[in-house]
Amino acid sequence: MVPEDRYPVRVRFSKVGSLKFISHLDLSRTMRAAFLRAKLPIWYTMGFNPHPKMVFSLPLSVGTASLCEFMDFMLTERVPYGDIVARLNASFPAELRAIEAYEPSTRFCDIGWATYEIRIETPAASPELAEKIRALFDGEIIVSKTTKIGTFDLDIAPLCDILSCECDGGEIVIDVRLSCDEKSFVNPKHVIEHILKSYPTILDGGDYTVCRTNVFLPDKETEFR
Amino acid sequence: MKLPESILKKVEKPGRYVGGEWGQIVKDKSSVDVRFAFCFPDTYEIGMSNLGIRILYDIMNKMDYVWCERAYAPWVDMEEQMRSHGIPLWAVESGDPLSEFDIVGFSLQYEMCYTNMLNMLSLAKIPVLASERDEKQPLIVCGGPCTYNSEPMADFADIFLIGEGEDEVVELCSLYREYKHSDMTKEELLRRASHFEGFYVPSLYDVSYNADGTVKEYKPKYPDVPAKVRKRIVKDMDKAPYPENLVMPYIETVQDRVVLEVYRGCIRGCRFCQAGMVYRPVREKSVEKLNETAKTLIENTGYDEITLSSLSISDYTCIDKLTDEMLKWTDEKKVSLSLPSLRVNSFTKELMEKISTIRTGGITFAPEAGTQRLRDVINKNINQEELLRACRVAFEGGKTAVKLYFMQGLPTETDEDLDGIIALAREVIEEFYRTPDRVKRQPQVTISAACFVPKPFTPFQWEGQCPYDELIRRQKYVTVKNTDRKIKYNYHDAGVSRIEAVFARGDRRLGKALLEAHRRGMRLDAWEEYFSYEAWLDVFRSVGTDESFYANRTFKEDEVLPWDVIDIGVTKEFLLRERHNAYKGKTTPACSEKCSACGANKLGGERSWCPKIATP
Repeated sequence: MVPEDRYPVRVRFSKVGSLKFISHLDLSRTMRAAFLRAKLPIWYTMGFNPHPKMVFSLPLSVGTASLCEFMDFMLTERVPYGDIVARLNASFPAELRAIEAYEPSTRFCDIGWATYEIRIETPAASPELAEKIRALFDGEIIVSKTTKIGTFDLDIAPLCDILSCECDGGEIVIDVRLSCDEKSFVNPKHVIEHILKSYPTILDGGDYTVCRTNVFLPDKETEFR
Repeated sequence: MKLPESILKKVEKPGRYVGGEWGQIVKDKSSVDVRFAFCFPDTYEIGMSNLGIRILYDIMNKMDYVWCERAYAPWVDMEEQMRSHGIPLWAVESGDPLSEFDIVGFSLQYEMCYTNMLNMLSLAKIPVLASERDEKQPLIVCGGPCTYNSEPMADFADIFLIGEGEDEVVELCSLYREYKHSDMTKEELLRRASHFEGFYVPSLYDVSYNADGTVKEYKPKYPDVPAKVRKRIVKDMDKAPYPENLVMPYIETVQDRVVLEVYRGCIRGCRFCQAGMVYRPVREKSVEKLNETAKTLIENTGYDEITLSSLSISDYTCIDKLTDEMLKWTDEKKVSLSLPSLRVNSFTKELMEKISTIRTGGITFAPEAGTQRLRDVINKNINQEELLRACRVAFEGGKTAVKLYFMQGLPTETDEDLDGIIALAREVIEEFYRTPDRVKRQPQVTISAACFVPKPFTPFQWEGQCPYDELIRRQKYVTVKNTDRKIKYNYHDAGVSRIEAVFARGDRRLGKALLEAHRRGMRLDAWEEYFSYEAWLDVFRSVGTDESFYANRTFKEDEVLPWDVIDIGVTKEFLLRERHNAYKGKTTPACSEKCSACGANKLGGERSWCPKIATP
């Protein structure tokens, strides 16, 4: 239950460019200062060391951009949602943008899937290569996963849907949907690793970028909000 | 230019290199006349914390024809990537290589960063030697405390800006603009620069040496070049520009908060302390101005912590009024107030309650020496009773741990003084048990002992540093003597301190050694993991430099010192008087009690302790 004098707000935001290389911890420090600059009446935690309470959805790996991040916080006064977006954007660094603000009706643990755009820049880019890469994801996709209990091989085929794989100029562009479930989270780097097994030199003379494009409920279809 | 992402993915803390922070200034490069790259010759985290750079970055970017950007020393992993991919060192705002800039400035804060400056120049593909640069390369300027004796860096910089930079950078940019739009040669530019107060152009002086290796003379090459360069100061601190916005780092930096400079200078005159002399005369800011600046900075930056900064903060004449005024709004805004270090005689219960970082953090005091005799020699005017009283306040406030700073190898130090260090720490432990309402836990005293390094422009500038082996012996001596488990003894690397002493009191012949060290790939000397004492000794051997000549030799009082070409306001006569007083164990009162005629008052200054000199 949310106490009456607090107004929960969810903000969807994007982080691109230099922000890709800022860790989750540093992002939250950046957000905290931005909130103070925006002079939004954010609710502080009680206790010995009061601090603005902010909760983020799925943390991103360093190096990954995103068009679809979520952050929840509470305000102690009602502020029009459009004003929240405008005031945050006036206080955010250029490569961090608030997209919309609203009252949340879901929980972050409702998130089941996220889509990513992976762009592989390679001199070998061609429609044929794109098709061959797509075919790599038919059948088993064995990746090695490292967790607290150790490193083990895992078939991520049920957790990974290639939505499209095309050649765009000098790049292979893959749209992929990966599981974000807490217990079966698939990192986009596993997709790259799987491709590297068959094409170990694909990144030579090139590079790849990853951008999270959207987030969905477990049914894979309904956009998370 | 953008840094390739593939490289950013391979390095630690990529946030150091990407720029894009809130508060950075981006201009259209085609619309400015002067591009200035402000370099800090160490990592981003340290450089971003530097107050001087924050001030000067703001001043230069407020000039419509100047764009000042920032650059830092890359960490070794990034350096390796840069070298293997041929990426030249860039400035973070534009990503453009430093070689495309008009002026590249370095802030020299400590001697152990000298090799970093050379490494940064070479990473930027700029020739390190001034003599090998022409009109096509950027003008290389240096400022910061190390430039009070800039001689070891004389081969590498074109101009040293001596003293406070607020006005100097404006004049420099203006002069540069004129140079750029005229047919002035670089040589003429440097000549013109030497006419400005505080601009030291080392190439305009011939230095000759005596047979014994000491300096014979600094001779200006032309009659219009001043024989002595006087440092610049800002006379009225209330009128000095202070940034109202800061660049907000994404990653955590060393000083990640608003820093409010309360005053410049120091009234104390500890005889080992360079800052205490070179920043004279004392000039305070008014409470009104400070409070207003603090509010603005908190509003604009989003920081929730503010630290009051000055050499001895409790000596600010209005410290109570300032903290009271600030607490009126900081508490409500949940902004915490912190103070850097406190003198024991100002450490009170009231202050402890006011300052949140004192409430929550550790307590540190700096007696510097173990006995009253030695404290009198160095003019550290505190006594054991005052220290114990301050510790008791801390213990009553619930503290159990105290950190004590000492220096070892001070002039006239004997084993008795070393015993005094342990004895003083013991007394602090005893004071804990004598405090009735102490916390029921075991007390802990940490002794942190630095090695004394003689610094230019101090009363101890003539002293030879305690020999390396003797420093090691004294450290072992204290280690063995300390049998109390409640006392922890830490000490600094004597090797680092010795190399620091060489460069602190060096002359321009040391340029050879720095160049050789640079050629051998030495850098990051301020980092334990990259500093090698043996490597430095080998460098000195290979270029035929006797490091003891600079570090350990006691300079003669009538000898020409390499830094005599600089005038800091404080006179050599005063420093000599102070040296003689030291050997007599005679203390000198603080400026607030009595003027000791150091000479700095001739520079002028508002809200100062100094007797005024009638200006003509």
